[in-house]
Parts: sequence; structure tokens; C-alpha cells
Amino acid sequence: METSLAPRSLGQPGFLSDVRAFAAIIRREWTIFTRYPSWIIALFIWPLIFPMMYILTARALSGPDGSGLSVFMQLTGASDFIGYIIVGTTVWMWQNIVLWDVGFALRNEQMRGTLESNWLSPTWRFSYLLGHTGPQIVSMAMFIAITALEFGLLFGVRLNGSVWMILLMMLAAIPSIYGLGFAFASLVITLKEANAFVFLVRGLVMIFCGITFPVSILPGWMQSFAQWLPQTYLIHGIRAAAFSNADLNALLPDLIPLLLFGTAWLIVGYFTFVWMERRARRTGAIGQY
Amino acid sequence: MPDFAIEARQLVKKFPARPGTGDKKANGESSTAPRRRWPFGKKEPKAMFTAVNGVDLQIERGEIFGLLGPNGAGKSTTIRMLCTLLEPTSGTAHVNGYDIVKQANDVRRSLGTLLAGERSIYWKLTGRENLEYFAALYHIPQAIAKKRVDELTERMELKERANELVEKYSTGMRQRVAIAKALLARPPILLLDEPTLGLDPQAARRLRELIAELKQEGHTILLTTHYMEEADQLSDRIGIIDQGKIIALDTPEGLKQRIDQKEIIRLEVSGWQDYIGEKLRSLSDVENLVARRQGEADLWEVNLQASNSRVVLPKLVENISQNGTRLVNMNIVKPSLEDVFIHLTGKALRD
Repeated sequence: METSLAPRSLGQPGFLSDVRAFAAIIRREWTIFTRYPSWIIALFIWPLIFPMMYILTARALSGPDGSGLSVFMQLTGASDFIGYIIVGTTVWMWQNIVLWDVGFALRNEQMRGTLESNWLSPTWRFSYLLGHTGPQIVSMAMFIAITALEFGLLFGVRLNGSVWMILLMMLAAIPSIYGLGFAFASLVITLKEANAFVFLVRGLVMIFCGITFPVSILPGWMQSFAQWLPQTYLIHGIRAAAFSNADLNALLPDLIPLLLFGTAWLIVGYFTFVWMERRARRTGAIGQY
Repeated sequence: MPDFAIEARQLVKKFPARPGTGDKKANGESSTAPRRRWPFGKKEPKAMFTAVNGVDLQIERGEIFGLLGPNGAGKSTTIRMLCTLLEPTSGTAHVNGYDIVKQANDVRRSLGTLLAGERSIYWKLTGRENLEYFAALYHIPQAIAKKRVDELTERMELKERANELVEKYSTGMRQRVAIAKALLARPPILLLDEPTLGLDPQAARRLRELIAELKQEGHTILLTTHYMEEADQLSDRIGIIDQGKIIALDTPEGLKQRIDQKEIIRLEVSGWQDYIGEKLRSLSDVENLVARRQGEADLWEVNLQASNSRVVLPKLVENISQNGTRLVNMNIVKPSLEDVFIHLTGKALRD
């Protein structure tokens, strides 16, 4: 046999190679995302449609002279009921989109047939999920910016607070929102189908986190449950930062639990992935459609 | 440098049997694994399907080794274990000297793998974008990657259309991108799972030429196929796998010599009936008869093995030519690998 001719691999493992691989995953995801033009329509239409349902309901329930709205604003402490609603609905849509998008990232690769070919390379496997998150955060930031722009222009919603404080709240929410997405993505590979779980999680956020009403109107046990959902703190914190001019000190009661939940969800997300990856090697789940 | 490019000892892979699929006793064995029934802590047996059952392989460096077997024989499961997508239930394997479980990342660095063919690449990226992406995943430095992508698009005759989306390519072109992907890091060992599946004859021929060239360049190649001509033409040695076990392993010539003392009779028959097959099988000199319909027409190819064709032929003609069944053509041929497979298993490779 011609052992002297054996080729030498061109791969050069190392930290920089891992960084380049991670950047390549982000670039690939972004390129594919931009090659489906329907995302532009979704980006402009969705931010309006979903909150409109609640805004119109609020108008209808406020009575012919709109007096109901003043009661609502008194209860919530909000100066603008539309702004109050769009903060809640936007957080709900953020979590919902992450569950569908990041949550089904690996499953979509699996159905496309590309998951195995990625898995065959020496790249750290968790980076496929992390890499998918980069373009998702960018597209979500665009979604939120367009929401603010559309409601500012069409409904005259105005900020009474610091944009930086709003951004700080949103940054603090990224670990918990995406950590849940990572755990979810790993479970979907194993279960193959998880629509019911998406409906459950977003239903919980809708009911318990007060997306269109203050959590204080909920019965005691529901308020206790709401404290275990990071979205409760995110919605409350953004409303305070955007419309009550809350400073960092005022936001700490929301920021600290949000960061603690974020740490917990990232750990849960990572270890669920590790568990899934190991289980898939034993059962062959990666190659099953 | 380790002795063998690939070495497997008693590789076994069992999967939980899927209810209603008949998996449970696929290879005639009942197999159980402990299963916990919460909360009582009692264990009940869980049905298992054995896909690979004690495979031993020693593949030399620079060799093309063909793993030949019908669908479901365990070829792909074996490859998936060797490329670290699956963990063996028991047994050990080393690729380029690295343990497939304990040194999985080193194994991946040593391998170029073609699995799932055209579906293994991104259709919404161009051919070039795909290769650049996978070059980064295989940790090839950027400058080298660029040259390598140019070199491979040229070699795979993709250069003209390298900047078009893969979704616009033909099946053969997509397969060529998938093969270029496997070659990107210039790995010493290539695992090619059914590389010519779905290709037109010309594309398949071109690919077989490429595989022969890669051997000349020093690559070790493990090739799985259920096309016996392909395995025969390309392989230095062939392992025939059936029901998860390697049932024969030798050079193509060595395998064929095993049935050299037999004569292979190939008949073309119109109006074939199953009962005729039963009658022929009952003849004392006839062994391993397999009948296969050819295309849409009522024309059947009947293969059988006999010790002495002069004794058997008159009996064959007498039994076939009745009730509208006609013998159309008849040949005594050299044994092929499929005849070896039939001899070993009593069934055709594509059954």
C-alpha cells in the first residue's frame, strides 16, 4: 500500500479557527435569511397587526366617550394606553418568534438534510445554535425598531424615558429568551414536533406576564406564578423605562431577576443541548426526518 | 502512524425497535435492554433492533474498500458509527488511529464524508458559498480555503456556475458539490455512502473515475454501494454485509473464485410463473435460483447456479416451455459479485 502518499489534512484547529467557523455560521444564516424576500413583508406587517387587535378592543371597551381608558390608565399608571399595549405585545412576539425560529433551527436543518453534514465537521456543535441566534437578534432588533417607528408615526406614541434604559432591559432579557430557545431547539430534535409546547409557552406569557394589563389584577396564585417568568420583569421594566422615565436604580428590581433567570436559562439551554447531542449519537436521531 | 486507516472490532449497533415496523426481529434475534418503569423502579425488557451485529474491519492505508450489501443491511449504520454520528452499542473502532468515541473530533478532522448526497449542502447558497462555508467549519485558513475552493470547482467542472444558487443545479452537479465538500480539507480518509445513487450513467461513470484518481492521490476510501459492478470495478477488497454482519471479505476476484466450481446460468423467460420457480428449485442440480422482472414487459431474468450445466439445461428447457411460458434467451456466464451474494445469502442484492 502507498502509505508515503497519504495526504495531510489542511485543517488547522485552534481558537481562531473556531471563531472563523462561528462567523461562517452567522454569515450563512444571514445570507439564507435574505434570500427569502417574504421576510420584508413580515417585518412591516406583523408589528402592526398583532397589537392592533388589543388596541381596537381597548377602544371598543372604553365606551363612547373613551372614559374607560382613563380608568385603565389610572390602574396601570400609564400615560399612553397604546404604548402600554405595544410593549407587552412586542415582548410576546419576540418570545414567540424565538421559539419558532431558534427553537426549530436544528429541526429545519435536519429536515433539509444539512444537519448531519454540519455535525460531521470538527466545529464545536453548540456553535450551530449560537450562530443561528446572531442573525435572529439582528432581525428581531429591526422588528422592534420598525414597531416603534410605525406606532410613533401612525399613532403618535412618544417616549417619556431613555432609549438606553430600554436597550439595557432588552439586552438583559436576551439570555433568558434565547436560553429558552436553545433548550427548546434541543427538545424539538428529540421530539420531532413541538407545536403544542410553543402554544403552551406563549399562552403562559400571554396570560401571566400582563402583556395588555397589569399583573396586579391577577389572583394571588397567578401573581406568584408570574414571578417565575422572566418576561414579567422585562415587560414591567421596559414600560417603566419607556414611559415613566425610570433610571437604572428604579430598574434594578426588574434587571436583577431578569439576569438571574437569564443565567439559569442559558445553563438549562446548554445542558439540554449536550444531553440531546449525546442521546442523538446513541439513537441516531440526527439522521431521522 | 497507526497500522490501519480504519479498524473496527466487533462493532454492534442496536436501536430501540419502532412498534409496527417489524424491526424487532430483523436479523432473527430477539434482543432486550433494561428499561426503567417509573415510579415503581421495576425493569421491563425493551425490544431492540440490531442494525450492525459484530462487524470487524481492517482497512489498509491507500486502499479502496467496498462495503456491499442490500438496502437495510447495515452499511450506512456502519459508516455513521465510523464518522462519529452514531455511538456503537458495543465494540471499538479507530479511524486514522483515533478512537471514534473518545477522540471523536480527531476522527472528524481525519475524514471527508459523503452522506445523503445532494441534500447535504445548502440549496439557497451558491456552490462557492457552500464550499467556503464548509472550509471554515473544517478549520481551513482563509487564504488556503480560497485556493482550495478554486481548485475543487475546477476539478469538479463547476467553475462556470460556481456563483449560481445550488437550487438551480442538476442532481449530478449537486452531488459534485457534496463530493467537493468532502475533499475540502484534503482528508486522508474518505467515507462515501452510495456516491452514485441517483446519478445518470455518464455522471456515475465520471464519479467512478474520480474515485479511482483519489486512490492514486493516496486517499483511503471506504465506499458503500449496492451496485455490484461499481464495487467490483473500484474496490481493492470487498466486504459483503447482510443483516448487520460481514458474511464475506476478500478481493473481488477472491470472492468470485469461491463459486468458480459452479456454473452460472442466466435465462430470459417470458410469461414466468412462480410455480415454475418452485419446480426448478426442486431439481437436484439447481441452486440459488433468483427470478427478477425486467422493466415493464413480461420478461424475466432468471439466474441460477449449477454444478454441471450439461445435465441441468435439458431439464430447465423442459420445465419452462409449458403453459405459454417461453425461454427467450440463455447464457452461461462468468460469476459476478451478485452471484457470490446470491450464493452466500440465497437472495438477490436488490431484493
